[in-house]
Amino acid sequence: MKERTISPDAPPLRFDRVSVSYGPGLDVLTDASFELRPGSMTFLTGPSGAGKSTLLKLAYLALRPSQGRVSLFGVDTARQSRGERALTRRKLGVVFQEFRLLEHLTAYENAALPLRVAGDKEKRYRNDVRELLEWVGLGDRMNARPATLSGGEKQRVAIARAVVMKPDLIIADEPTGNVDTEMADRLMRLFRELNRRVNTTVLVATHDMELIRRTPSDVLRIANGLLSRQGQEAAR
Amino acid sequence: MSSPAPLLPQADTREAALFFVVCALCFLASFAGLVARSAYAAADSWADQVTGEITIRVRGDEAAAARAREIANASPGVDSARMIGRDEAEALLAPWLGSSGLPDDIPIPFLIAASATTDAPAVADIIDRRLKEEGLDASVDEHSVWSSDLRQSTNTAGLAALGAVALLIATAVAVIAFATHAALLARRDVVEVLHLTGARDGFISSLFEQRFLMLGVRAGATGALLALATAAFMLFLVRQSQDQVWLLPQLSLSLTDGLILGLTPLLAGLAAMIAARVTVMQSLSEMV
Repeated sequence: MKERTISPDAPPLRFDRVSVSYGPGLDVLTDASFELRPGSMTFLTGPSGAGKSTLLKLAYLALRPSQGRVSLFGVDTARQSRGERALTRRKLGVVFQEFRLLEHLTAYENAALPLRVAGDKEKRYRNDVRELLEWVGLGDRMNARPATLSGGEKQRVAIARAVVMKPDLIIADEPTGNVDTEMADRLMRLFRELNRRVNTTVLVATHDMELIRRTPSDVLRIANGLLSRQGQEAAR
Repeated sequence: MSSPAPLLPQADTREAALFFVVCALCFLASFAGLVARSAYAAADSWADQVTGEITIRVRGDEAAAARAREIANASPGVDSARMIGRDEAEALLAPWLGSSGLPDDIPIPFLIAASATTDAPAVADIIDRRLKEEGLDASVDEHSVWSSDLRQSTNTAGLAALGAVALLIATAVAVIAFATHAALLARRDVVEVLHLTGARDGFISSLFEQRFLMLGVRAGATGALLALATAAFMLFLVRQSQDQVWLLPQLSLSLTDGLILGLTPLLAGLAAMIAARVTVMQSLSEMV
């Protein structure tokens, strides 16, 4: 399938006056406009129910906006065919709030899922996936199924799955919600490393203001469906 | 590391129930197919037995009967014509009147059995006309009414069986589509994760297609084998009862039966695969 040309300078994610409404008076997101710079690291914060997850769902193409335009890598996603959107999703690494691991697969198989979906051969990625799982502290849990993993372990598998393809854009919904401070910093270092080494753009939704303060980043704040940019926080 | 696990979880109890339903439907469909085929074969067999056989009933004396036999023998298309004696006639009537013999004062018409070449046109009409020209009181029966009724009955039975097969196939497809939809709902988490991980619709659909193709083929093969076993058992029972075997449908297994039994799992698998594809694609189209 021919993919639309993507400019390397195009913003990885751009919202133009995006609104989401589930009916009259049920506006979840109102007129949101922002863009992420290539290689930037951005936190999205705000109170529970403010619309963070809705904004992220729009970003990882799980939801259509009621109004406005969502562009990924410079391409209006509404104008893409289903096949093109599938290819665009392969450039994204998503950490879902509820992990969404496949219960019948092992930690290793869950982490390798995007590679398998993309058609890579196992012998080519086996060592990389193992190294990644060791790096997130799951070297001895590779053959464990999600039912036997703790919340923090599941979260690390979900993160490994999100970064295994070295995506152009990582979208993470509360990725440190179930891990201790040490592991949270370690995971954020992983994001930063990808951010610096391969210019991956990172968008992280979190409640954790301490984490935001500890991590050099841009901050988007959302409240009552309204979005505002707060500039850079934390010392680099 | 061993070969990667299937992306869809192993079959669960819902699929076991679906297997049973498809198996039962395939059993009924293939058995109905065998019965339909047997009905047509029986009709052909019975019709073949009477085709070319002509019975002439003569009312009058022995001389009239002899003259009628001569006329029949001389008619074009007739191979042979012979008198049916009183003993033979009584034997033919025995199933209805008993085997104790008929009183001598009960008149039995003189019967002549003629065999005609099957491609001779209107032999019975020719004999009938010649008998009338000779002034003989006789009637000619080529069993066409019986044969025609028989064919009509077996054709009706065969069509009914084919209708049942069609209905069973349609039911199987509907059940499979319904079950696939249910299975998809149960696997929605897997479908969503694959979808959001960048899997194309065709890739996701192919997982379900393969799963349901194999389920359909296995269930169809089991149903067809059960139908074969049932048909073989019926054939055994029929052959055990020596009397009137020729009246029962021909249950000997033929190439057509093999085709019916061989096609059942293929059709079941194909129906399951198509139902799975349509259902999965429809569900995926609701996702962004």
